[in-house]
Amino acid sequence: MKVDSGFLHTLHLGGEFDANLCMNCGTCTALCPLGIELMPRKLFRRVLLGDKESVVGQSETIFSCLLCRMCESNCPAGIHIAENVRSLRTYLNHEVYGLAEA
Amino acid sequence: MTGRRIGVVVCQCGGNISDYVDTEKVRREIEKEGDVAVAKVEMFACSDAAQQATIQDIKDKKLDGVVVCSCSPKLHTATFRAMASRAGLNPYEYTQVNLREQCSWAHTHDKDAATEKGIKLVRAGVAKTRLSEPLTRIRVDTVPQAVVIGAGVAGLRSALALSDLGISVHLVEKSSKAGGQVARWGTLFPNDRTGSELVDRLVHEVSSRENIVLYLNSELVGKEGRVGDFTVKIRTGTADTITLEVGAIVVATGFDPYTPKQGEFGFGLPGVITLPEFKELLAQHPNPIVYQGRPIRSVAYVYCVGSRGPTNEEGNHTYCSRYCCSATSHLATVVSGLDPSVRQFHLFRDIRTYGKYEHLYETALRRGSVYLRFTEEDPPTVARDTGGLVVKVHDRLLAGEEVEIRPDLVVLVTGMVARENDALTRALKIPVGQDGFYREVHVKLRPVETVVDGVFIVGAAQGPKNVAESVQSALASVSKSAALLMKGYVDLDPLVARVDPSLCVWCDECTKACPYGAISEVEYGDKHVAEVNSVLCKGEGACVPVCPKQAVSVRGYTNEQILSMIDALAKEAA
Repeated sequence: MKVDSGFLHTLHLGGEFDANLCMNCGTCTALCPLGIELMPRKLFRRVLLGDKESVVGQSETIFSCLLCRMCESNCPAGIHIAENVRSLRTYLNHEVYGLAEA
Repeated sequence: MTGRRIGVVVCQCGGNISDYVDTEKVRREIEKEGDVAVAKVEMFACSDAAQQATIQDIKDKKLDGVVVCSCSPKLHTATFRAMASRAGLNPYEYTQVNLREQCSWAHTHDKDAATEKGIKLVRAGVAKTRLSEPLTRIRVDTVPQAVVIGAGVAGLRSALALSDLGISVHLVEKSSKAGGQVARWGTLFPNDRTGSELVDRLVHEVSSRENIVLYLNSELVGKEGRVGDFTVKIRTGTADTITLEVGAIVVATGFDPYTPKQGEFGFGLPGVITLPEFKELLAQHPNPIVYQGRPIRSVAYVYCVGSRGPTNEEGNHTYCSRYCCSATSHLATVVSGLDPSVRQFHLFRDIRTYGKYEHLYETALRRGSVYLRFTEEDPPTVARDTGGLVVKVHDRLLAGEEVEIRPDLVVLVTGMVARENDALTRALKIPVGQDGFYREVHVKLRPVETVVDGVFIVGAAQGPKNVAESVQSALASVSKSAALLMKGYVDLDPLVARVDPSLCVWCDECTKACPYGAISEVEYGDKHVAEVNSVLCKGEGACVPVCPKQAVSVRGYTNEQILSMIDALAKEAA
């Protein structure tokens, strides 16, 4: 995995992505009603490290999230998981699919 | 039979002794010895109850000598001497026999032989006690002055606190400027004050004190005398050597930052610097952060460089340097405060922002620092290619996946190493631990004292410490120094050499053998004889075997006592 130092900066343009305090406990993954394996624990780690490719590669998963916030309301680190997923979607819409801002 | 009344206590040490030595048999044999008025076995001779019983025996049976057969004299001689004093017996009428380290623990395979040896050791102790004499500790005045070596934070703070107590201080600094390492280091955790502010305040305060003299470009080159009254030689900046009388010596010589070996985590490559270098860089060019003309957009920190090395390699620094995790996490918050868009990657083994500094780690995280954990066996690599620096690390949170970072700057988080102070160490005769730092007497209970009474070690000279910890140990040494100097006197052990002037013929042999210059020539009647200055004498006895007339002996270890002990050891069991 190659770190793209500028990635997080671009991401921030689409909203406030903040998973800094994530301790990778996996509560989110365990509670996900869709059983989405990658999200949010590993995905957020990759985002923080600036792994742009994995975000683009996981766009299917990112859009399949129900935003039910089951993970968020149980996150011991208080990460705003749903907000983060939204900002990833915004990023993908703008930067990957070239959609205009709503 | 000498008419002495000696009491003997055989200690079981809760099995440490009695599992291998038949303590009851030892007691029975010793009871038969002449001059032994009472012999008892105790589970723990050092317990309050056993001491009380022994004190009662001393009083009731009018004992004039006591032998406790227990552990090493290093452990409990002072305990039982104090016990003797409380019973009204002169403490030097007490003898300790080492039945544990030198008998039971050494001969766990053979109980009978251990018991036989135990009996002999106790007989020797009784033989020595038969010839013991009451001695008085030698009381000497102390000099209400101290010398502090090193004017870094620890030394400066020690000097001020001694000065507060009315003790005059000679503060000796090797370099041309007071302040030490901290002065160059920009903002420090936890309160964001700069090192130079901190040091300037201390230096300013020191310069305003009439009872502190600061010697720059100066070194301690010699020490004589003893606790409470040392004579030290200082070579000053002008190359003069001055002599000072001081009661205590505080060693605050600090540390050196670890310098990585060429190639260690890319050290030597452009853009690879150490933690102190980065701190200095930030202190000098804070905003924008520029290194060698290039703006810094991303930083990778590699932790534990020169610390916590594996024990299997010679010369490794195996200890944790304590300050670096907190300092680096704090530094990351300073960087993100200057420019929040700078990306920071922390490659660490364990984060030890212990105690009150945990918030530094959390703040660094909150402000976007990413921490990647690596193991000792699988450290990161740092290289440089045409595109710049390349750092590769296996991230534990991505199941060991290799993460490749291309930072503008790699900061090697280097720890503390002991300074080269060979000349000073020799002059002071204080011990150095395996890690190269000065060694305290007891890590928990006597953390600033050395085996040389009156010489104290503080700050990072004793081991890695942050500023707060250095100041704590500085103040601890001040309390120990003050306890010594403000009382005005110190009581020394009277176990020193003496010369029988009727036997002495002044051949000068003892004077040559004495390493402390404690023996001098005096007139005695119509002849010249040697005389021992019992304040300078350390009682180590180099003068005894060289005397052709057997005129010299050490109190508490006289020739007669030693010979009687040998006889007792050689005596066959009845």
